[in-house]
Amino acid sequence: MPYRHKILKGLPVSAGIVLGRSKVILPGDFRVAEVAVAAYRIKDEVAALESAVAETVRELRHLRDTAGKKIGGPVAKIFDAQLLIAGDYEFLDEVKKQIREKKRNAGFIYSSFIHTATRPLKRSVDPYLRQMTQDIEAVSRRVLSHLSGYQEISTVRLPSDTILVAESFTPGDILNYRNRKARGFIAGEGGENSHMALIARSFMMPMVVVDVLWRQVPDNCRLILDGTNGVAVVDPTDDEWTEYQRKRKRQGPAAVTRIKRLPEIPPTTVDGVPIHIAANLELPGPVDEILSAQKIPVGLYRTEFLYLENYSFPDEDAQYRFYMRIAEKYSQSQVTLRTFDLGSDKVKPDGFLPHEDNPALGWRGIRLMLDMTSAFKCQIRAMLRASVLGNIRIMLPMISNLTEFEKARKLISQVMLDLRRKHIPFDSDIPIGIMVEVPSAALTAEQFARRVDFMSIGTNDLTQYTISVDRNNTHVASLYNPLHPSVLNLIKMTVDASHKYNIPISICGEVAGDALALPLFIGMGVTQLSMNPARIFDACRLVKKIDSNLVRLLVGSVMSGGTASQVKRRLESYRNTLEKK
Amino acid sequence: MTRKTATIVNKLGMHARPAAQLVSEAVRFEADIFLIKEGLRVNAKSIMGVMMLAAEKGSEVTIEAEGADEEMAVAAVDRIIESGFGEEI
Repeated sequence: MPYRHKILKGLPVSAGIVLGRSKVILPGDFRVAEVAVAAYRIKDEVAALESAVAETVRELRHLRDTAGKKIGGPVAKIFDAQLLIAGDYEFLDEVKKQIREKKRNAGFIYSSFIHTATRPLKRSVDPYLRQMTQDIEAVSRRVLSHLSGYQEISTVRLPSDTILVAESFTPGDILNYRNRKARGFIAGEGGENSHMALIARSFMMPMVVVDVLWRQVPDNCRLILDGTNGVAVVDPTDDEWTEYQRKRKRQGPAAVTRIKRLPEIPPTTVDGVPIHIAANLELPGPVDEILSAQKIPVGLYRTEFLYLENYSFPDEDAQYRFYMRIAEKYSQSQVTLRTFDLGSDKVKPDGFLPHEDNPALGWRGIRLMLDMTSAFKCQIRAMLRASVLGNIRIMLPMISNLTEFEKARKLISQVMLDLRRKHIPFDSDIPIGIMVEVPSAALTAEQFARRVDFMSIGTNDLTQYTISVDRNNTHVASLYNPLHPSVLNLIKMTVDASHKYNIPISICGEVAGDALALPLFIGMGVTQLSMNPARIFDACRLVKKIDSNLVRLLVGSVMSGGTASQVKRRLESYRNTLEKK
Repeated sequence: MTRKTATIVNKLGMHARPAAQLVSEAVRFEADIFLIKEGLRVNAKSIMGVMMLAAEKGSEVTIEAEGADEEMAVAAVDRIIESGFGEEI
């Protein structure tokens, strides 16, 4: 057996660790051979195509309904596009006409039509049209597999530790493999915010995107998948296997179900100070049951998914239903909804936007929404209507100057006035706050603290802007360090400003869940730390070991460390003292 | 035969989501409905067809219907287009 051990590094898009075996799916070539058909058999060809399409429609309806039950409305809608395509009877009529005229087999004519239709779509600037192409191809694969009698879409249960490896996955694939008990995915393409990634995260199934390297994974070999760090280990050694077994205990679905065992929420420090540990969410999922039962607040609820469904802003009632469901689910805790943060790496809302040379510094976040005022007001209206239970806060992303905040505040007031006039109830005391993720906001934090109801520090983007590094760029990613003194200074400035004006302050970037950093933030006086649900259990346990007076001293010593390595050393030495307890 | 020309008024034009919305509406009618834009003629009940149109803001689309409920069909499709597909104008 040749030595195949290798470690592949890629983009982590869904956290968790799986130790299992690979199953490689090679792209199916759905070009069908051209076969002449005798005149008396044409009628059968046509009938076979009709029945293949009908079967496909039935399958898609079933998938949509089960997705609806398992996750809820927004995910089920992903299948609506495929249903629309499968149900396109005009298209089907054209295909049937060609079958009769050319006297050729259904599979060949059908797949030729599909190729002709998708070729121009693939080059479109509109991201939804490109996504549609994937949906069209997914539908045609089903139709063709029914035609050929070969059951490509299987419902056979997979071996319990299967990790799927393929060039890409459609949302339907993720659902299908999950139903068949697969445990994780390695994909060749797909961004952090692709449909595929969102669904994988909502099911808490680990996934890593490794670009062309996916082809280097042999079929049916031992494989370790680390979706948290973006690593896949092919043919691991026994030592690696044991090491990851240990790591796995701390991550993934197990890490979230452990939350059920937490005795008290919020956890309190050794000296009785409550620290609010909260969750960052983006989609309804199985995790909601656990979090809401334990009354864990949602420090950041990202709403981009609503846009990504269809690459357009959904109507007010659809948004209202979505936010209301969240408010009701988390009725015993506070939920912070963030308005649409689109643009740049996430998605360009307008397929016909001129290319931006510098999208990270461009038309995104609140800037974009302030230009699309009716879409912004529509989202605000929906959020306000859903605030009737009194547990919602609204947060504005990427605020870089006071004018942006003031404009947004004014629009919100206009919406409130309108709702009042129409006697539509909402929480008139609803807190309106901002994400502090742009250095200019952190550097003038006092100006904001006077005017906003709360602030939440988005350390991911704050770090990128401050150090000037794109963490997805492999050449420079190692420079990304949210505990760099420069970033810590900005964090501290913001926290101090919030104290001066006595408003709640939270951190919602990834570093909030970092065990090394938690004591420091508590010492600074951060009242809420919002993180990936997988980290909540460990964070709560850590809080209980901390003495808030001692960590206040820690802040002084860490902040006086001039370099990143001094900071790291001092935090590590504090952690060691905790571990001895 | 009933015919009417509508103008695309929404900012983003008739991209894929409005196309899906229009098709969902068109299939409710018995009449044959076609959309014509700059010589390109597509069946309004076919998502594959309508997606091809990709009409931008300001462009004109002619709606043509033939059949029992052709007047209602044209009116309905016209209303969807002129209302900007419920999007930002």
